Amino acid sequence: MSELHEPAAFRAALQEWLAENDLTPPEDHSLESHIRQFARVQKALFEGDWGRYGWPEHVGGLGGPQILRAIVGEEVVGRRLVEPGPYSMIEVLTPTLIDYATPELAAEMVPKWLSGQEQWCQGFSEPGSGSDLASLTTRAVQDGDRWVINGQKVWTSFAQFSDRCILLTRTGEGHAGITAFFVDTDTPGITIRPLHTMHGVDEFCEVYFDDVVVDAGRMLGNPGDGWQLAMDLLPYERSTCFWQRIAYLYSRFDALIDEVKEQGQVVDSDMGEAYLALHTLRCRSRATQHRLADGHKLGPDTSIDKVLLAGAEQRLYDTVHDLLPGVIELDDTPWRTEYLYSRAATIYGGTAEVQRNIIARRLLDLGKE
Amino acid sequence: MTTVDRDSLELLEDGLRKTMLSCSGPDLDAALTELGWADMLTDMPDVAVPLVFRLLGETGSHASVLVDVVLHATGNTIGDTVELPLPYAGNSWVVWDRVSAETAEPTLGGLPLRREEEGYPIRVAEARVAVGWWLVGSARAMLALARQHALDRVQFGKPIAGFQAVRHRLAETLVAIEGAEATLTLPGSESPDLTSLLAKAAAGKAALTAAKHCQQILGGIGFTEEHDLHRHVKRVLVLDGLLGSSRELTKKAGAGLRARGSAPRLTHL
Repeated sequence: MSELHEPAAFRAALQEWLAENDLTPPEDHSLESHIRQFARVQKALFEGDWGRYGWPEHVGGLGGPQILRAIVGEEVVGRRLVEPGPYSMIEVLTPTLIDYATPELAAEMVPKWLSGQEQWCQGFSEPGSGSDLASLTTRAVQDGDRWVINGQKVWTSFAQFSDRCILLTRTGEGHAGITAFFVDTDTPGITIRPLHTMHGVDEFCEVYFDDVVVDAGRMLGNPGDGWQLAMDLLPYERSTCFWQRIAYLYSRFDALIDEVKEQGQVVDSDMGEAYLALHTLRCRSRATQHRLADGHKLGPDTSIDKVLLAGAEQRLYDTVHDLLPGVIELDDTPWRTEYLYSRAATIYGGTAEVQRNIIARRLLDLGKE
Repeated sequence: MTTVDRDSLELLEDGLRKTMLSCSGPDLDAALTELGWADMLTDMPDVAVPLVFRLLGETGSHASVLVDVVLHATGNTIGDTVELPLPYAGNSWVVWDRVSAETAEPTLGGLPLRREEEGYPIRVAEARVAVGWWLVGSARAMLALARQHALDRVQFGKPIAGFQAVRHRLAETLVAIEGAEATLTLPGSESPDLTSLLAKAAAGKAALTAAKHCQQILGGIGFTEEHDLHRHVKRVLVLDGLLGSSRELTKKAGAGLRARGSAPRLTHL
C-alpha cells in the first residue's frame, strides 16, 4: 500500500503540491468561467495523480480509501480553486456510474470525467415530479437494440455544459418501471435551455427529449433498476460531496469573521450560533466519512447530514444578512448571490420536508403517514 | 485508552442501567463505587464518561460522579467529599452536595446543588463533555417517551404519529441529538477547551430542543406528574446551566472567533 493512502500523509503531500502548482482561478466570475476552471483543475489533479486516488483501478484510479477523495475536495474547494457546485457532481455521479454501468463503459467514460475532458449531469427531476420523483413520466420505449426517449427534465444542473447525462426514464409501471440510461447530450432530439434563477447564476436547465435514440448498451443496470440507482445515489450526494461543501462554507465564514470583527462583542452571539451550526455539521459529516470508510452502507441516516447542512448554510447567510446591514441589498458583492442561493439549500437534493419524512419513517420507525 | 470488547461493554451497560434504575443520589454513588467507577474513570475515561453520563440521562437518575470527573482531571482523588464550587450560568457558582440524601436548597428537579458565593477557576473541559453526555441521554429519554406517545395516542381515528406536524418535530429532535453526539465524539483535538465548549453548547441546545418538541407532542399528559417527562425537562434545564449555558458558551465561542480572526476547523479526516 502506498504511504499516500494514509490520510494525514496524503493531505500534507497534496498541500505541498498545491503550494507549488498555481491553479488560482481567473477574475472572470461567470458560470462559464467556473466550469472552465473546474475542468482545468480536474485535468491538473488527474495528471498529478491526486484526482485518481480513492477511485478504483479499473476506471483509471489509483485505489486507496475513498476518504482521500474527500480530502482532495476539501483542499481544492476550501481554497476556492473550484466552486463547490460543479465539483460536487464528481462525487454524486461517478460512484453511481461505476456501480451500474458495464465495466467496459465505466472504464471508457470515468477517466474522461475525472480528467476534466468532460462534464456530466443528472437528469432526475421533471416539471411534474419533484419531491414525488417516482411519478416521473419521461418515457423510454424499446426498439430492437435501441431505446427511444421522449419527455422533459428540469433542474438539471450544468446540462448546458455537459457531454453526458445520467437519465431516469419510465419503462413500466411504478417504482419497478423506472430505468436509467447514460445519454450523450449531443444526440439528435435533445434541447437544453437554462432557467434564469433569482440569484443570477443560470446553472439549472430544462432538458427536452424528442425521439432521442439511445443504444441498449447505455442502459445502467437492467430495466427497472432506475429507482434503486436513485436511492443508491443519494447517500453519495450527502457524504463525500458534503465534506467539500463544508470546506467552502468555512472559507466564507472566515471571510465574514474578517468583515465583522471590528464591530466588537455585539456580533458574538450570532457568530457563535453560526459557528456552532457549522461545527456540528462538520463533526457529523466527519463521522459519516468514517462510517463509509469502515465499510458501512450509507442510507437514510444521511438525511440527518442533509438537514444539518441546509440549516447551517442558511444560518451562515442569515448571519451575513443580519451583521452586514445593507450589503446584500445595496452592494454588488458575492454575498448577494450566495445569500440568495442559500435559500435553495432546504429545497434541492430532497426538500427539508422530504428529509424529515425519511427520518420519521426510516430512523424513528413511526410507520406510515 | 483500554479497549473493551463489545460483549463486556453491553454487560457493563446493562449492569449500570439496572443500578441507576434502582437507586439515586448518595446510594447510587455508593453503588457506582462498588461497580468500580474509580478504576473505570482512571483506566478508560473515553468509554466510562460517555456511558455513565448518558445512562444517568436516559434513566433520569443522578449521582455526584461529575465531581469525580473534575477531581480526576485536576489530579485530585476520586471520591473526595471536598466542597468544589462549579461554575453555573450567570457568572454564579454552585456546590454539589455529595453527602446529604436530600438537598436543602430548592434546585429544580432535585439535583443536590446549592448556590455558593464565590468560586475559583477550575479545569472544566472534561466535565463539560460529561454533562454534554448527560444532556444527550436525557434528550434521548424524552424522544423515546414522545415517540411512544405519538404511536399510542389516537385522535381523529389514527395515531398522532401519522400526522406530519408531529413526525417533523420528532425528526427535528433526532437531528439535534445526533448532531450533538457527533460533537461529543470528536476525538482528541488540538484545542480540547474549545472542542468541549462547543460540545456542551450543542448538547444543551439539543436537549432544550428535545424538551420543547417532546413537551408539545405529549400534550396534556406531559404536563402532569403522572408522566415521567417533567423529570427530564427539569433535569436538562438545570444541566444546561451547569458549567455555562448553551447560550453563554455559544457567545463565548463567537468572541473567540473575533479574537482569532478565523474559525478553527478542529477536526480533519
